[in-house]
Amino acid sequence: MASLLGYVVNGALAGLLYALIAMSFVIIYRSARVFNFAQGEIVVVGAFVVWTFMSVLDFPWWVSVPLALGASLLLGLFIERLILRPLVGEELFAFVMVTIGLLIFIRGVVLVAWGPEVRFFPAVLPLAAIKVGPLVLDRALVLGGAATLVLAAITSWFFNRTQAGLEMTAVAENHQIALSLGISVKRSIAIAWGVSGVLSTLAAIIFLNGKGMTFLASDIGFAALPVALLAGLESIGGVVLGGLIVGIAVGLAAYFLDPIFQGGVASVFPFVIMVIILLIRPSGLFGWKTIERI
Amino acid sequence: MTLPAGVHAETYDQDRALIRTPGQWIWFAALLAGLLLLPLLGSGKAIGIANVIGITLVAVVGLQLTSGFAGQINMGQSAFMGVGAYACGALAVNLQMPFWLTLPISGISAAVFGAVFGLAALRIKGFYLALTTIAAQYIFSFAMLKLPKAWFGQAEGLRLDAAALGGYALDTDVRIYYLVLLVAVVMTYGAWGVARSRPGRAFVAVRDNDNAAEVIGINVFYYKTLAFFIGAFYAGIAGGLWAYYVRYVQADQFTLWLSVWYIGMLIVGGMGSVLGAIVGTVVIRLLQDLITVVGPEMVEAFPRLGGQFVFAAMNMLLGGMIIAFVIFEPRGLVHRWNILKESYRIWPFPH
Repeated sequence: MASLLGYVVNGALAGLLYALIAMSFVIIYRSARVFNFAQGEIVVVGAFVVWTFMSVLDFPWWVSVPLALGASLLLGLFIERLILRPLVGEELFAFVMVTIGLLIFIRGVVLVAWGPEVRFFPAVLPLAAIKVGPLVLDRALVLGGAATLVLAAITSWFFNRTQAGLEMTAVAENHQIALSLGISVKRSIAIAWGVSGVLSTLAAIIFLNGKGMTFLASDIGFAALPVALLAGLESIGGVVLGGLIVGIAVGLAAYFLDPIFQGGVASVFPFVIMVIILLIRPSGLFGWKTIERI
Repeated sequence: MTLPAGVHAETYDQDRALIRTPGQWIWFAALLAGLLLLPLLGSGKAIGIANVIGITLVAVVGLQLTSGFAGQINMGQSAFMGVGAYACGALAVNLQMPFWLTLPISGISAAVFGAVFGLAALRIKGFYLALTTIAAQYIFSFAMLKLPKAWFGQAEGLRLDAAALGGYALDTDVRIYYLVLLVAVVMTYGAWGVARSRPGRAFVAVRDNDNAAEVIGINVFYYKTLAFFIGAFYAGIAGGLWAYYVRYVQADQFTLWLSVWYIGMLIVGGMGSVLGAIVGTVVIRLLQDLITVVGPEMVEAFPRLGGQFVFAAMNMLLGGMIIAFVIFEPRGLVHRWNILKESYRIWPFPH
């Protein structure tokens, strides 16, 4: 029984980590109407920047982490200025394509800059496991889960209750209408990319804390997709719930189904849940219902 | 389609023909002759490259029908190709079927798998649908690695004998080249047919505005499913060819990354045009091969770049090209080519 509980609790914690990455998807979508396929690569860039500051330059963590967060903020702003600004007002398809191009391009840059070797990611957060009764929990995931909840509350408040947040929401509805209402679309996109860059780096620190990593760590971007879709691409609070649902379901699936399939269920199960839920609710659990006019 | 001055169709047959002028016939014959004689002219390496281009071409042309014409972003093309390859491999290994049977069956089985995701298009739209096709990738690799070993060989994959016609085994690059060429030509011709027929017109209507399409009497659900069915059929045929060319099928050959590259080829070539798919595939594949040739020499000249430079350079080049094309020329290379052709025809006048 204890081991089943362990699967559930650890699944929930992993789900919260996915929710953090899914949140960076949602923030970009919610304020720019761009779906960023390159999110996973941005996580990897953030991870390598932290690694460079801590392991190559030997800075202490309280210097490197703020520096890395600043660098990822700059990266987000840089991408906005160079690639997304010329496309403001274009159709959805152009944004999908450009982020796919970005995905391929950033991977090339990461390989040139840092190479394909396995690197040991420094332990920013303490490694010692937390023991609660019979459960053994990864301390980084527990801290990360708490951070996810706090960040979700803050961003949710920002988008639903503040003037700036509501203006950014209008951009997500329609670039041209937002422009005609005097809302700066480019500023909205810039803020979104900056913030989501920072969140990605945070996620990288929690996810890779004290583990080995290569450029392939970017797969977590695709792994977080089901969470974002399950919740609906417009809802930040929903992402937390989506993360918990996916995490716990994967934990249970790993417990009950892995013996049947000899492992590997955890990687495919989120997608199965996602497809089923999307068939029932086509814009996710908490996504906006759009009314289409002809 | 614009034509040179003085070319007018007098019958419907003439109006429908793909090749309209004597000049076009000459170029077409020269192209076919060049492709047929390539094994005599080119080295073994050139044939290998041509084979890979031909196989990729079939998959990308199919993707063009799903994404470029019907507007359904499909990030599962490589998984569909994998389904075709596995179907082909399993039938050839377990049931000893000849290739002229396994190839169509692999196309159909991939098409059925693809159509399932098309069925989802009834309710799921836009981004959500595009991302659902990513699920195809994960479900595919999970299924292939977990289904009984006697069917698909699990992690060991499948090893095929060469395709054989009677007693004649297509076991060298040159011999398989003619099979790939034949299939690629037939499939490309078919794609032109689909694009110009009722389904093709309906695809374009659905792409441009699916609500409006529904209102003017197009069965949107049917045509979305059909778009996935046809696109995945092409992928399945490509997968079957791949199985006979490499003679080894394994789930790791068909990655999400490959699907992303296919989309890149479409963007560079030009969305919504069969010629665009051809141009994009050939240009990107040739650039890739150029980098594999030039890359190591560059690494030798500048040792600081390191061995990973070749792979990285490919990604940076393709990624940079996609971004540049979306921003500066969203209609792709084929649009540039059409402009060039037009200005050549009306030279020296500007319009």
